[in-house]
Amino acid sequence: MKLGYTIIYVADVPSTVAFYETAFGIQRRFIHESELYAEMETGATALAFAGNEAAEMSGFAILPNVPSSLAAGWEICFVTDDVETAFGRAISVGCTPVSRPAQKPWGQTVSYVRDLNGCLVEIASPVATAI
Amino acid sequence: MHLPFGYQESIVTPKFSRNAEAFWSFAAQKEGASIVLPDGRCDIILRYNIFTDTAPVPVITGPGTMPYEIKYTTGDSWIGVRLRPINGAQLWQSKMNGAANKVLFGTAALEVLPSLAQIARSELSFESLLGVLNSISKKSHSFDKFDVLSETLDAIHVSGGRLRIEKLATLAKCSVRRLYRMFRGSVGLSPKTYSQIIQFHRALRLIQKEQLSITAAAFEGGYADHAHLTRSFRRYGGFAPSDIPGDLSFPDFFPS
Repeated sequence: MKLGYTIIYVADVPSTVAFYETAFGIQRRFIHESELYAEMETGATALAFAGNEAAEMSGFAILPNVPSSLAAGWEICFVTDDVETAFGRAISVGCTPVSRPAQKPWGQTVSYVRDLNGCLVEIASPVATAI
Repeated sequence: MHLPFGYQESIVTPKFSRNAEAFWSFAAQKEGASIVLPDGRCDIILRYNIFTDTAPVPVITGPGTMPYEIKYTTGDSWIGVRLRPINGAQLWQSKMNGAANKVLFGTAALEVLPSLAQIARSELSFESLLGVLNSISKKSHSFDKFDVLSETLDAIHVSGGRLRIEKLATLAKCSVRRLYRMFRGSVGLSPKTYSQIIQFHRALRLIQKEQLSITAAAFEGGYADHAHLTRSFRRYGGFAPSDIPGDLSFPDFFPS
């Protein structure tokens, strides 16, 4: 078995896709015509968005992601060499700052924002490989 | 849920069905009885028998919270429209507060909805019912109120009825008091009662369709334990979870 998808349930799939394109610079792979499902170009393991009602149609129940709520207890993390710029761009288009870029003792630069749906997104530099 | 690239299907979503009035009809092929499960929505119905010429009987229902048994003989027929949850008050107006579980027949139904008398036996059709519907839905909701209520209904359905009103109010960005008043005033039930109906339907589906054990369905459905689920089944279904009747009539929460 391998990890195939990370699927985030959101109120509005197309606007979330558009937001991720401008805020994090990743491109869409496709949006299904029902506008209930979309995938981003993130390589073999797809970051995908599904409409909240897709959960209902599949018969499971979820806590909807909204900015006014406490963030759900998990995150996605984008890796870049220039955390400062990526963080600034995310904030400038509507992400909410959680923690500003900071250097960690192990040499990594780490920051956190919340996206348009209140989901936690980490923007970090690659973890330095052991010397 | 994920869909492969290029997959084509026109999907009728649960959200769409909550935001539209549903026209339905039923004709009994033989004598029998059926249990109609509550779904918190109001119906406008005309009942008749295809083998007689008598005038159709108008029927109006309030938002249901209890199972309702219907007995019929061969040829008994119904044509109806099920209002979307937020439009209950359009039908009942000032009587909305006491409308829960009311079923009015004949002249009592016409007192609430006089235009229903205009449909003659020869004019029974969805078009005629649409005319009746249009006569009551002139007063539309303000955008703000509509947004809060439809967001709240979505959250209730998406969460399987497991969210408390405080959480629902946070999601809809309004106060608990205002949400309660608006919901109660439009749907005719409290958010809690409506949520419990949704929770019941989901647990029922988990047992019936997904074949979960009662204990597993209680856990996934958000009940404290087996006994809690059993109480809910007795209240909203009139049966024990171990003894689900075969002649249930389901409101179409989950179009397949």
